[in-house]
Amino acid sequence: MLRRAARARLAPFGAVVVVSAVLVALAAPFVAPHDPLKQDLGNTLARPALVHLLGTDNLGRDVLSRVIWGTRISLVAGFVSVAIAMATGTLLGIVAGYAGGRVDGIVMRLMDAVLSFPPLVLALALGAVLGAGLTGVLIALGVVYTPTFARLMRGQVLTITARDYVDAARALGAPGWRVAWQHVLPNAITPIVVQASLSVAFAILAEASLSFLGLGIQPPQASWGSMINAGRGYLQQAPWIVFGPGAALFMTVVGLNFVGDAVRDALDPRLRD
Amino acid sequence: MTLSRRAFLKVCAIASGTPLVTVGPRGMPVALAQAPAPRPSADTPKKGGTLRVGFYIEAATMDPHLSGSKIDRQIYHNIYEPLVTLDTKLGVKPGLAESWQQPDAKTLIFKLHRGVKFHDGTDFNAEAAKFNFNRMKTEPKSVRKGEVASIDTVDVVDPYTIKINLKRPDAALLATLTDRAGMMVSPKVIQERGSELERNAKGAGTGPFEFVEWVKDDHIVIKRNDNYWNKQGGPYLDRVRYRPIPDDVVKLQSLQAGEIDAMDYVQPRDVAAVKADKNVVVVDVPSLAAFSYQLNHTRPPFNVKALRQAVAYSLDLDQIVKGVWLNVGVPANGPVPPTSWAYDKTIPPIKRDLAKVKAKLAEGGQGNGFTFTMTTPNLPINGQEAEVIQAQLREAGITMKIKLVDAATQLSDGNNKNFDMISYQWSGRPDPDGNSYQFFKTTPGISLNWSGISNPTIDALLDKTREVSNQAERKKLFSELTKILQDELPMVYIIHPIEPKAFSPRVRGYEAIPDGMMRFKDVWLK
Amino acid sequence: MGRLVLRRLGATIPVLLLVTAGVFALLHLTPGDPIDAMMAESVDATAKEHIRRELGLDRPIPVQYVAWMGKLLRGDLGRSIRNGEPVIENVSRRIRPSLQLALFAMTISLLVAFPVGIVSAVRHNTSVDRLGTTFALFGICMPNFLLALLLIFLFGVTLRWLPISGYTDPLDELVDGVRSLALPAVTLGLALAAVITRTLRSSLLETLTEDYVRTARAKGLSEWRVIRGHVLKNALIPVVTVLGLQLGTLIGGAVITEYVFALPGVGRLVVDAVFARDYPLVQGVVLLIAIAFILSNLLVDILYGWIDPRIRSR
Repeated sequence: MLRRAARARLAPFGAVVVVSAVLVALAAPFVAPHDPLKQDLGNTLARPALVHLLGTDNLGRDVLSRVIWGTRISLVAGFVSVAIAMATGTLLGIVAGYAGGRVDGIVMRLMDAVLSFPPLVLALALGAVLGAGLTGVLIALGVVYTPTFARLMRGQVLTITARDYVDAARALGAPGWRVAWQHVLPNAITPIVVQASLSVAFAILAEASLSFLGLGIQPPQASWGSMINAGRGYLQQAPWIVFGPGAALFMTVVGLNFVGDAVRDALDPRLRD
Repeated sequence: MTLSRRAFLKVCAIASGTPLVTVGPRGMPVALAQAPAPRPSADTPKKGGTLRVGFYIEAATMDPHLSGSKIDRQIYHNIYEPLVTLDTKLGVKPGLAESWQQPDAKTLIFKLHRGVKFHDGTDFNAEAAKFNFNRMKTEPKSVRKGEVASIDTVDVVDPYTIKINLKRPDAALLATLTDRAGMMVSPKVIQERGSELERNAKGAGTGPFEFVEWVKDDHIVIKRNDNYWNKQGGPYLDRVRYRPIPDDVVKLQSLQAGEIDAMDYVQPRDVAAVKADKNVVVVDVPSLAAFSYQLNHTRPPFNVKALRQAVAYSLDLDQIVKGVWLNVGVPANGPVPPTSWAYDKTIPPIKRDLAKVKAKLAEGGQGNGFTFTMTTPNLPINGQEAEVIQAQLREAGITMKIKLVDAATQLSDGNNKNFDMISYQWSGRPDPDGNSYQFFKTTPGISLNWSGISNPTIDALLDKTREVSNQAERKKLFSELTKILQDELPMVYIIHPIEPKAFSPRVRGYEAIPDGMMRFKDVWLK
Repeated sequence: MGRLVLRRLGATIPVLLLVTAGVFALLHLTPGDPIDAMMAESVDATAKEHIRRELGLDRPIPVQYVAWMGKLLRGDLGRSIRNGEPVIENVSRRIRPSLQLALFAMTISLLVAFPVGIVSAVRHNTSVDRLGTTFALFGICMPNFLLALLLIFLFGVTLRWLPISGYTDPLDELVDGVRSLALPAVTLGLALAAVITRTLRSSLLETLTEDYVRTARAKGLSEWRVIRGHVLKNALIPVVTVLGLQLGTLIGGAVITEYVFALPGVGRLVVDAVFARDYPLVQGVVLLIAIAFILSNLLVDILYGWIDPRIRSR
C-alpha cells in the first residue's frame, strides 16, 4: 500500500502538469501578461525582470506571453495529430483485424510501408506537399503515428474476437459491425488510450524537430518548438529565450509520460499488487 | 620605461589582431579591412600550416564553366584564376592578363602573362584562353553562356594576345570576367578528363593553390602551388582544408573552440558577441549584395502600382536594418550597393510615410487595406524580417500572411510567378549591370525577372548602360534607373548587407574584397 | 526458421513497392525542381533544359517511375542529380558514419539503461525507482537539437574536452574517431537509454511476478542470483524489440544529430537530397533505409526465437 502511494506521487504530479498546460492553453488571452506579438525592437534580448518575467526575445517580444500562447499550438500539434492517428489507425486496425484475409494483408502492408519510411523524411515530404503550416504538421504527424495504432488495434481485435462471448454474439446473428462496436472496441480502448497518452508526448517533440528543419508553424504563430528553434542561435547571449519554451516543453512531456506510465501500470493487471 | 623587444612584438601582435575598420557615412564600414595589417618587421609572413575553413554547404562542382552555385566560387578563386581580378574598391586589375585595351566599343584585347603554367604542367597562352571561351559558349551544359553572350568570336593575335570581338557593346563584360566567366581551365584536362573535372580538378587551374582531393560531404583539400607564376607575396599556406558545417551556431562554436580557422559568414546576431571574443577576429566585408522582395506585376494585388507603393511606404527600413540585421548592413535605395562606383548616395532609401500609404491605398481602390502573402525562405533571419515587416504593414492597415518555404520551393514559386511578394537575396555582381539588367529587362519565359516587369523606359535605359563605356556616364544612368525603380517598384529593396567573416587570430594577411570571396594567396598562419 | 525468414522476405516485396511508389509520388508532388535548385543563381535556360533532357526529367512521371524500376531490377539505383555519382556510392560512403554512430549510441544507451532499469525494477516503487524513472525520461523529454547544443556548449565550448563538429573514421584513427563520435553518440544514446530503461523496467517487473521467480526466491536464492539466472533473459524480449526498431530508425533517422554535428551520415544525406529535390538520391536512400528497417525487424524476430524457444515453434 505504501509502495503504491510512493509510486503514485509521480502520476498526480504529471496530471497536474498536463491539466495546467491545458488550462493555460485555454486561458492564454487572460493569463498572458503581454501581447505575444507585440514587438519592441528597442528592447530586444532583455534579461528576465519584473516586467518581462522570462525576458524578451530577439524582436523584443515577451517570452512568457509567447510561451503561454505557444502552449496552444504545441498542445494542438500533440493532441490533434495523435487524434488523427488514433482515429485512422483504430479504424484501419479494426477493418484489418475483423475482415482478415486479403483486406488485412493490404492494410497491414500499407502500414508496414509507412513504418519503414524514415519518419522525418515522410513528415518533411508530406509537409512540403501540403505546404508549411500547422495543418501540414498535423497531417504529417498523424500519418507517421497511424501504423502504431493500426497494429495495436488489429492485435486487440484478433485477441478479443477469439473470446467466447464474441463468438456467442456472432452465433446469435449480430452483424459484424455491431459486434465490433459493442464488444471489440470497448475492450480494446484501454491500450489505445495508453498508447495515445505516450504518443502525444512524442508528437509534441516531433513538432519541435520539424521546426528545426524549417517545417512547421508559420509566423507569427509560434509553438514551443519553433520558439526554441528560433532562439537556439541566441543560446549563449540570451539563454532565457530558449529556457522558457524549453522548460514548458520538458515539463509537459515529462507530465504526459508520468500519466501514461501510471495509466499503463494501473491497467496492467500483472503490475497490480 | 622601455619595452623589451619580445614584449613589443607581443603588443604589435595584439594590436594587429583587430581589423582596421573605418566607419564611413551612414555607419557603413568602408573599410578595407585588412585583417591583421601586415607589419613588416614584427609580422613577416611565413610559410607553412594548414588553414581549416568552415562553409555552410558543400561545393557542387569543380568545373567553373558548369557551376551554378555560389559556394563553388570560394574554392575556385584559389585554384583557378580569371583574366582580370577585383581590387578592394571593385576596380579591375590584372589577373592572368597583364593588361588590356578597348580600341572600340566592340573589341577587347588582352595581353596575357608569359610563363604561366597550369598545374598539369601545360602552358597557359592565347590558344588556351580561346579554347576556354569556346567551351563556355558551346558546351551544352555550360552555365556561362549568358555571361559571355555578347562575345562573338575570340582571335589569337599572337601566342600571348587575344582579341575578343563583341556582337554588341557590353560595358559590363570586363567586370564579369573577374569571376567564373574569366577563369581559365587547362585545355588538356578538359580534353582528357573533362567529365571527371566536376569532381576532380587535379591539374586544372593556374592559381596559387592546387586541387588535392575532394572527399564528398566531408572536405576539400588544396595545397600550395610551389611553381606559382606570380612571385610577389604568397602562397604561404601548405594546405587549405574546406569543410561543410551546415549549422551556423555549431560552425561559429567550432571556430571559437579552435577546430576551424576561418568561416565564410557570421550571422548578424553573433557579430557583436564574436567581436568581443578575443579568440576570434571578425572582418566586416561590405558586399555587392542587395536583399529585396520582388512584387508580382502579373497578378493582383501588385499589378496595381499604387498598391506596390503603399507597401513600400509602409516599411521602415531603418527599423528593419537595426532590429533584424543589427546594423550589419545599410538600408538599400536600390540595386546598386554602396561598395560600387555607381552607388548614388544622394538618393535616399524610400522613407516610411503612413499618410502616403493611406492615399496610395485609396488610389489603388483598397481604401480599407488589403491582404497578400509574402513567400520567404525558412531561415531564422528571413522569418524575423518577415515578422517585422508583417507588424509594420499591420500598422499601415495592410494584412500580410507569411509563407515560409525551402529554397527549392522558393525558386519554383519565383520562376512560375506563383507569389504576391517573394524574398530575393541577390549576392551581387561587381558591375551594377549584374544587379539590375536581368531583373528588370523585359524577358518572356523564365528569368530572374520574377516580378514580370516590362517597361519600355527601363528597357531602353538598361540597354544604354551597356552601350556607354564611360564610367561617369554609366553612373548617371544607374542613378536614373534607381529613381525610376523607386517609383515603379518591381522590387522593394531592404538592405545592402555586410558579410562579416571570422578568423582565428593566427590567420594573417586576409584582404577583404567586396565580392566576399576568400582568396588565400597572401594568407599565412602565425 | 528458414521458412519463417523466407516468408517474411516475401512479404517485404509489396511493402517495398509501396514505399518506392509513395516516395516517387510525394517527391514529384513537392514543388521545386532539382536543376533549378542546383543552379540557384543561373538562368541559362538552354543549359538547364539540356541537363533535364539528359537526365530524362522531361518525361511524364509514370514513365520516369517505370524507367527507374526497370533499372532497379537490374540492380542500378541511378545517379544523384546533384553530384552525378551513383546513388549506391553516395550511400555506401555515408553508411559508415551512420552505422558507427548507431552502434556507439546503442552501446552508451545499454550501459546506462541496464543498471538503471534493473535497480529501478528491483527497488520497485522506492525513491530510487522514482529517480531512475525520472532520469530515464530526461533523455526523451528534450528535443534532440537542444540536447545537442547543450552538450556542445558544455563539453566543446566550455570544457573543450571533445570536438564539436566533423567526423573522423574510428577505423582510421581510433582515438580521434571515437572522440568525434562521442557527443553525437551521447545525444542519441541518452534518448535511446530512456526508451530502453523504461522497457526493461516494466518487463522486469512483469517477469518478477511470475511463478518460477517466486519459486526461485522461495529456494532462498539471493535477489541478484534470481535476476541474473531467471529474470533477465526473459525480460530481454521487449528490449530486443525496441532495440531492433531503434536500429533501423537510428541509421536513417539521426538526421538532426548528424546535421548539428556536421556528420556525413545517411540521415543528413536524405534530408539534403529532399531539399535539393535530388529525386534519384531520395528514392534510392529511402528504399535502402526501408530495407534496413525491415531487415532489422527480421533480425529481431530471429533473436526472439533464440531467446525464447517457445516462439520458434509457432
